[in-house]
Amino acid sequence: MIRYEFLMQIRKRSLWITTAILAVVMPLLQGNRGPSSLPDDMSARAVMGTWAFLFSILLPIGFGTVLADRLVRDRRLGIVGLLDSLPVGPGARVLRRYVGSVAATAVPGLAIMMAAAVFELATGRHDPALLLWAPIAFALVMLPGLAFIAAFALVAPLVVTAPLFRVLFVGYWFWGNMLPTNFLPSLTGSLIAPIGDYPASWLTGERMLWAGDDGWLGFLRPDVTGATAALSIALLLLVALVPLAASGPLLARRRVAG
Amino acid sequence: MSRQARSELWRHDFRRAGWAAWVAPLGALVATLAMTTLAVGGGAGRQQVRDLLLTGLEAIVPLAVAMAAVTAIAGDRSRELQLSLPANYVATLGRRVGSLVGAAFAVCVVFSVGVLAAGCWSGPRFVASPLVWAPPTIALVGLGVFIAVLTRSVVLATSGLAALWLTQQIYASAIGAVDWARPFLLFQTTRVGVTDGWALDRTLLAVVGVALVAAAAALLRRPDRLLTEEEA
Repeated sequence: MIRYEFLMQIRKRSLWITTAILAVVMPLLQGNRGPSSLPDDMSARAVMGTWAFLFSILLPIGFGTVLADRLVRDRRLGIVGLLDSLPVGPGARVLRRYVGSVAATAVPGLAIMMAAAVFELATGRHDPALLLWAPIAFALVMLPGLAFIAAFALVAPLVVTAPLFRVLFVGYWFWGNMLPTNFLPSLTGSLIAPIGDYPASWLTGERMLWAGDDGWLGFLRPDVTGATAALSIALLLLVALVPLAASGPLLARRRVAG
Repeated sequence: MSRQARSELWRHDFRRAGWAAWVAPLGALVATLAMTTLAVGGGAGRQQVRDLLLTGLEAIVPLAVAMAAVTAIAGDRSRELQLSLPANYVATLGRRVGSLVGAAFAVCVVFSVGVLAAGCWSGPRFVASPLVWAPPTIALVGLGVFIAVLTRSVVLATSGLAALWLTQQIYASAIGAVDWARPFLLFQTTRVGVTDGWALDRTLLAVVGVALVAAAAALLRRPDRLLTEEEA
């Protein structure tokens, strides 16, 4: 089932088109402040950490909208009964589809990171280590956020519908990742901000956005270190388990509701 | 067509637009009030509360309504049946999106009056208050409908809207500082302010939205463009 879900997702044109457009938009909009203007002597680790964070600003929006209808479409297509006949419980089924979905959406994410590394190599930064740090930065900065978003994008539409989820998701993404904490109490800059502020700040050696900034829920805002970056990743993965754990009962309730 | 028949058609398509027609703008404003309450709890000052309420009208309502419009366009499950009828499908979609936008405008007017009555209005003179929320709503609805018709993809349309909304939030100051780009800034009132030429900029933004709706209508001269097996 993991393989099947992976193949279904990765063949979605909209996944690739959305990723390609969003991946180009941010570097263009950054202009002179973008990663292509980083100092020549900057380490490969910091360069790829900067690229990964830049992609983390918008790409998750595409991933979230792509995944928002994965479970609700089963009912729309009338295949719920067929899936129920499989020798796998609803919770385990969602978990396998989750793994397949995350893997499929990770592929274009990793691909653009490798493309960014090749771009850096081709435009004068002759450091082969870029090709090594590209997947590492992807795994540390982008993948935990993707795993976090995918869990909510799969399960939340069972409760709030896919269109409403997409609206809420955009609002949440801005509020919980980018809105300065002095304007409104938010999760921006905390360990559970899926934009990857902590790991990216650790990789680059300087604060990328608001990581550790004073604000709401102060205990979730330690200084940036390797340990707190790892803690941020662990917390994101842990929180992602919450919707996945709820998916089985939610699907069962929908089945009863008919 | 008689007036009664036209009225019946509007009522029917308003119902077909579904709960989203009312829930999208209402939900956006309820979220605004929730954020304002959160801010007040966090010690926000009076001006910050005013800014937040205005942000709800200028930023949150347009996003919610545009997302709902995309769903109204791309989510019709009886499209084949519609296309088999001797009715103009573009007009049908127009009534549904029009119902959404009309409901949003009604909700925004009531909310604006409430904000004014509470002494929290901080935008332009109140008579110009529709220019705070109408142009960004028209522009985002136009863009969402255009992408939905062009690509037949809810994902691309909603991602496009989300990306534009977020990038404009992130780069609002930079966009507002460039003369030619300012009319395209969705959040000029809240992020730049009511400056010289504000009304003209807002009008230009609305014109862009209408032009996008017209482009979508032109694409729909072949409404079979909307037919698709499933989201690609």
